[in-house]
Amino acid sequence: MSNLANVVTIARREFTVRLRTRTFLIGTIALVIGVAAIAFVPVIVRYADQSSSQRVAVWTEPGALTSDPAATISVLLNAATGASASITGSKPGFVVTPVPDLAAAREAAGRGEVSAVLGIRRAADGALTFTLYTSDPSTSRVSQLLAQVSTTVAIGDRLDRLGIAPAERATLFAPAAYAVEWLDPARAGPVRGSVEEGTSYLLGFGMTILIFMMIVLYGNWVAMSVVEEKSSRVMEVILNAATPFQLLTGKVLGVGGVALVQYAAILAAGIAAMTAQGPVASLILGEQAGNVSLPAGLTIGVLGILVVYGILGFLLYAVLYAAAGSLVSRQEDVSAAVMPMALVSTAGYLIAIYAATGLFDIRSGWVTVLSQVPFVSPFLMLSRVTAGEAAPLEVVLSIVILVVSIFVCLRIAARIYAAGVLLYGQRPSIRAVWRLIREPG
Amino acid sequence: MALQLEEIRKRFGAVQALDGVTLTVEPGQVFGFLGANGAGKTTTMRVVLGFLRADSGAVTWAGRPAETWPRRTWGYLPEERGLYPRMAVLEQLVFYASLYGVPRATARRDALAWLARFRISEYADRKAESLSKGNQQKVQFIATILHDPDVLLMDEPFSGLDPVNVAMLKAAFLEMRDRGKTLVFSTHQLDMAEELCESVAIIDRGRIVAVGPTRDVKRSTGHQVIRVATAADDDAQWLMALPHITVTRPGEDYTEIRVDANMDPQVILREALAQGREVLRFEVADPSLEDVFVQRVGALDVEERTLAAAPPVRP
Repeated sequence: MSNLANVVTIARREFTVRLRTRTFLIGTIALVIGVAAIAFVPVIVRYADQSSSQRVAVWTEPGALTSDPAATISVLLNAATGASASITGSKPGFVVTPVPDLAAAREAAGRGEVSAVLGIRRAADGALTFTLYTSDPSTSRVSQLLAQVSTTVAIGDRLDRLGIAPAERATLFAPAAYAVEWLDPARAGPVRGSVEEGTSYLLGFGMTILIFMMIVLYGNWVAMSVVEEKSSRVMEVILNAATPFQLLTGKVLGVGGVALVQYAAILAAGIAAMTAQGPVASLILGEQAGNVSLPAGLTIGVLGILVVYGILGFLLYAVLYAAAGSLVSRQEDVSAAVMPMALVSTAGYLIAIYAATGLFDIRSGWVTVLSQVPFVSPFLMLSRVTAGEAAPLEVVLSIVILVVSIFVCLRIAARIYAAGVLLYGQRPSIRAVWRLIREPG
Repeated sequence: MALQLEEIRKRFGAVQALDGVTLTVEPGQVFGFLGANGAGKTTTMRVVLGFLRADSGAVTWAGRPAETWPRRTWGYLPEERGLYPRMAVLEQLVFYASLYGVPRATARRDALAWLARFRISEYADRKAESLSKGNQQKVQFIATILHDPDVLLMDEPFSGLDPVNVAMLKAAFLEMRDRGKTLVFSTHQLDMAEELCESVAIIDRGRIVAVGPTRDVKRSTGHQVIRVATAADDDAQWLMALPHITVTRPGEDYTEIRVDANMDPQVILREALAQGREVLRFEVADPSLEDVFVQRVGALDVEERTLAAAPPVRP
């Protein structure tokens, strides 16, 4: 019997049996629903936001102004809050309506139909005066915004009275030339908008979580599956037919296949939900919604790198999870046996998250070095790639190191496994495991 | 063309599990491997199958090192029975066989045939965990032989089986032997070994203490066994009074005595007639394997099979 045929047979059994279990089915459905729900969060948030527009009534003293200021105030108010329709496509934060009757408007405000009334009068010296009628504190957000807006309207009015043409006014208020450059003179390219620059932050964050989950969740499956074979004593039956190496490899590949199926389902659900957002948004919110799309930076290249690091990272950890599983005889002991792998993967995950979010400088030397170290490289290199900080050669090098480590770990794991699967009872000490690695049989 | 073990030694830490195990199993034989718990039966089988590497010694089958034979040469029934609890019976039988390279269709056909012969066809699509223990053992036996191995190594195949299933398994054993297979099984049910095995080996603390054709092993004690029954009830008394004999089994139905192999048993018959007794039964036999076992392994086995002394009762 050739090596490969048995590996395939074992992987296929692992794959089909696991795929049919109820836990897998329910778990996958729950994850798919969860991912779709998360993808729809923006639409839901906007739907909730819709009703929160503030209504402001503007009353102008008859003859005080030649034109109605309500339109200007509306533009200024919404621009100040950054909630202008042209930016997010959502309803404006403020709805400004002109009213002819101040007393009626104040009554309407009292009934809660509008949240505030702004009165505009012209004083004897020719200057405009503004009065806000409100039951909110004078330092409320609306009051502060209206104070700014009033000043702008007043300045416009003064310029009018000085006889400055509207065309000249534009140059007068044009923003000054202002630039931001890197502190490091050697560094080219635009400075990031913020530490948590949109794409690198979200993508790096999300992908690191995906890889971490893949390693911990499915690594545990591998360990559990090994222990199940041990505790049900089926191990000795198949050990006569297949070598420990074949068993280990087949198991890791079988669980890996299941992991890929589950991940494909989750990713497909996520992408489908994101692309469906536009139509759904226009359906629910009744607006033109051409502005929803996949996160910027989610290119085929980045997805490919996620898949490569995800698979390699899983393989590296899974063979060790299998070896750890072979050392214990009961399901209850699995978590203790896999502790070393859980710790290392958590450390790699946390460093990657901190580096992606800017808590650690992603360009620092130790992050660069760690991104080549096998057990943490899947997390860190992914963060660096999504942040645009990794050179292609560095990525290739880390992948080569990862592949070599997988084969080294596979050899070590197969030795531990060969001895471990026949051990029942007490968990062997670390020294005993070390002996197994050094002198097989 | 025989299974040969030469001077196998294996140490686990401070324990010398196998201490120079040497034995030969002739092909086509049913071979009994006898020993108390912990004597080294399972370790020996694991060494033969290559699960464990011996510290020294060699295992050969038909003159070639055991590990050079393809895996389908060997069938193994481990002592601790194991099936995938949540996998259907037929499906896992096909899985085991395909690990040995048996085409799935062939494995399926043969598995169904064996399930029918063991009268458990209706369980083919049931999960293994829903089967009774006896039926699980039958499935396990099918898993051992489905790939048609030449050598079958079975660790305590009869333990935990009810008499009906024991009979069924015995029949399967003999059928395998008739097909030319070599069967090695370990047991501490000595009557079973006596009934089935052409040859036996007795292992004690990692050492073979007796090995050979069953009849030779039985005669190796230098004793013979005589079973006597007369019409009177005092057989044990008058037999005990005779010189050079030991009463080994004073019973209601008959009394068993042990005499040296060179003694003429007819002396006892003549004595009975001389005392005017009505002889109902007089049988001269070889010692049972149990006698041999007790003699060779002795106290260890007695300790295992008898109750320990009761704690003293305090007033």
